[in-house]
Amino acid sequence: MDQTAQPTDFFTPAESSKANIRALTNRVLSASCIIISLLTLVPLFSIVYLLLQKGLPLLQPAVFTTLPPAAGMVGGGFGNAVLGTLLMVGIGLVIAAPLGILSAIYINEYSPASRLANAVRFVAKLLTGIPSIICGVFAFAVVVLTTGQFSAYAGGVALAVLMLPTILLTSEQALMGVQNAYREASYGLGATKFQTITRIVLPDAVSAIMTGIMLAVARAAGETAPLIFTALFSQFWAKSFNEPTASLSVLIYNFSTVPFPYQVQMAWTASLVLVFLVTVANITAQLAFSKKE
Amino acid sequence: MTPTIMQEDHRANQPKAATAGLPQGYTAPTGGRPDFLAVKEFNFFYGKKQALYDITMDIPEKQVTAFIGPSGCGKSTLLRNFNRMNELIDGIRHQGEITLLGRSIFDPKIEVIALRRSIGMVFQKSNPFPKSIYENIVYSLRIAGQNSKSILDETVERSLRGAALWDEVKDRLHDSALSLSGGQMQRLCIARAIANRPKVLLMDEPCSALDPIATAKVEDLIHELKREFTIVIVTHNMQQATRCSDRTAFFYLGKLIEFDVTQKIFSNPSEKQTEDYITGRFG
Amino acid sequence: MPTHILSTFEDALNSLRNDALMMSSLTERNLANTRKGLFERDEDWCNTVIADDEEIDTLEVQVDREGINVMLRFHPMASDMRNVIATMKLSVNLERVADQAVNIARRSRKLITRPEAPEVAQLHPIFQCAEGMVKDAVRAFADRDVALSRALMERDRELDEMNRNYAERMTDLMSKNVESIPTYMDLIFISRFLERIGDQAKNIGEDTVYAISAEEIRHTNRAAM
Repeated sequence: MDQTAQPTDFFTPAESSKANIRALTNRVLSASCIIISLLTLVPLFSIVYLLLQKGLPLLQPAVFTTLPPAAGMVGGGFGNAVLGTLLMVGIGLVIAAPLGILSAIYINEYSPASRLANAVRFVAKLLTGIPSIICGVFAFAVVVLTTGQFSAYAGGVALAVLMLPTILLTSEQALMGVQNAYREASYGLGATKFQTITRIVLPDAVSAIMTGIMLAVARAAGETAPLIFTALFSQFWAKSFNEPTASLSVLIYNFSTVPFPYQVQMAWTASLVLVFLVTVANITAQLAFSKKE
Repeated sequence: MTPTIMQEDHRANQPKAATAGLPQGYTAPTGGRPDFLAVKEFNFFYGKKQALYDITMDIPEKQVTAFIGPSGCGKSTLLRNFNRMNELIDGIRHQGEITLLGRSIFDPKIEVIALRRSIGMVFQKSNPFPKSIYENIVYSLRIAGQNSKSILDETVERSLRGAALWDEVKDRLHDSALSLSGGQMQRLCIARAIANRPKVLLMDEPCSALDPIATAKVEDLIHELKREFTIVIVTHNMQQATRCSDRTAFFYLGKLIEFDVTQKIFSNPSEKQTEDYITGRFG
Repeated sequence: MPTHILSTFEDALNSLRNDALMMSSLTERNLANTRKGLFERDEDWCNTVIADDEEIDTLEVQVDREGINVMLRFHPMASDMRNVIATMKLSVNLERVADQAVNIARRSRKLITRPEAPEVAQLHPIFQCAEGMVKDAVRAFADRDVALSRALMERDRELDEMNRNYAERMTDLMSKNVESIPTYMDLIFISRFLERIGDQAKNIGEDTVYAISAEEIRHTNRAAM
């Protein structure tokens, strides 16, 4: 068979059987991809199912307004834990968001190629992998030991350390995603760098930045280790930021290990509420900051 | 009879007639300063690499000057020096002078921002901001601190009329600029560039991404605009240069080879390199 | 000079030029045949000239169409544009030369029916001058010879002078030799046709100079004179 100069004739039996094999391989691999993707959904749906199954029974509005029951008692809820989580994530955001966004602005808009910018990027990438308990230890050393007090401040600082690398790196990505053509047009019209950043770049990047913040928040809200020895826990409503504060994650940790079935049940419900809160926050952020096309 | 075309270089043998190649009685448009935008022995470097060599030219007022030349010849680089946009890049350096109305644009007493406000720029790919049409046009006023509604409204109408876009968008000024067609977007960018009544309008291949009808509308617009603005346009399309410009400058490898009345450049250029480029013999 | 990067452009320009040069050789041949028909009193040559004119007319239309096609497709610039226009004008001028040759051939046929006249031979220098001008005009176009083209101005003046003198002489003879008036009329006409051929050759020269050097030399001679 002359294979050198002949163009491929697709209608010979030899060629068409090769084509059939190719088509079959293609179908097999596509099917495997689909099946495997479906399989990855299984653990996700299982968790949701389990949460709903175990957590729904005790879910009532009272859960948000009452305090946890004492050991062995029934009734009550975990309103203080919900509040505490919100407070400490809030404090963490107040510290980490401005730091992260402004740093991202510096390393992307002002001197992207400088040694400082490269160092910041490198360190941020390292810190994304930091074990959350180290954040807790750091906050313990810096806040708890100096103030002599377990507090929401300490918890907030620990969560801030956790959230900062994510916020910084995703904000940088968001800023990089803004077309350079917009910046050029802005400078060409006689705008300063500051005006360009505040009027053009940030508004265009805001939805991507929000997504990054939501990612960080979702992680922080569910972390237990950083809060265990910074905010500790409390059975009562938080009256100030400077005292041990309850949080959903620590409550779940505490309640799921005690031998009282009611408390264990409560832990399930608290897990459901935590997942629900993070999901709601995510959806709200997406809707509020989505790009209007 | 020789079957192939024998092209000797006639220029060496024949005396050049001053008006050779121009229609009888042709005079280039005059009026206005001939050295409105003047370049004197201008050299430009990207780091160690020299991009422009000893450019000297006088760009006349209220005329259209076209820059032509193969890719990498420096025409866009020179254009972007007129409003100092190259300073956004690190490591650039220049020698020589560029003056606008006699005053150096590199004078440390001049704010770059003020310079850029008096020189408008339109880019190859239209880049309206992801804002409304109205906000796009008034952007240059707002950043200068002008927020009075009456002035902004008047500017929007004047600029859109000037860009031949008013009738098409006057009922949807607050719609997103990104909802316009490609040709309309480019005219919006022109309107945005002229909103602040700049002295010079720089256009870097403004029609290369547009279809023929949109291109024709922009070219017609350029013809109108030159009554009020001095225009410099970089183009790859030689037909566009012949249609739109009064003067043409041919660049090659960072040097200015020839700069003359457009009719002369395209009918009887003085330099062999120019002739080779425009007749498609380059290479 | 390097060739055009676009080979289809280069080929089209070559084809246009070759057709024009083909047309010029046919025209020169027709003119030579006219000469033979006139001076050798050969009716066959005259008929050949009249018949062959059709070919030249067809070529003129073809060159015209090819030239327009090149301009539409390739937008020639500078020297290319001037060359295309000059080639198209060349074909027009050649067609007119061929028409004059036909006119001479027709008159020659009439002359042949009448007794031989010695004044016919006096047309020789005029015919030679005109024919030479056409040959040189075409050669100057083909070889891009500006000097040769320019020289055609002066030669046309000489041809005009020769024609005037000849016409005067014939007119003179007409008053003395009344029965030969038709013959003398024919000769005057033939001389006139040859003078027009010279004009066409001069036009070709002017267009050639413009194509090569972008210099306009048309209609400047009257002022110089």
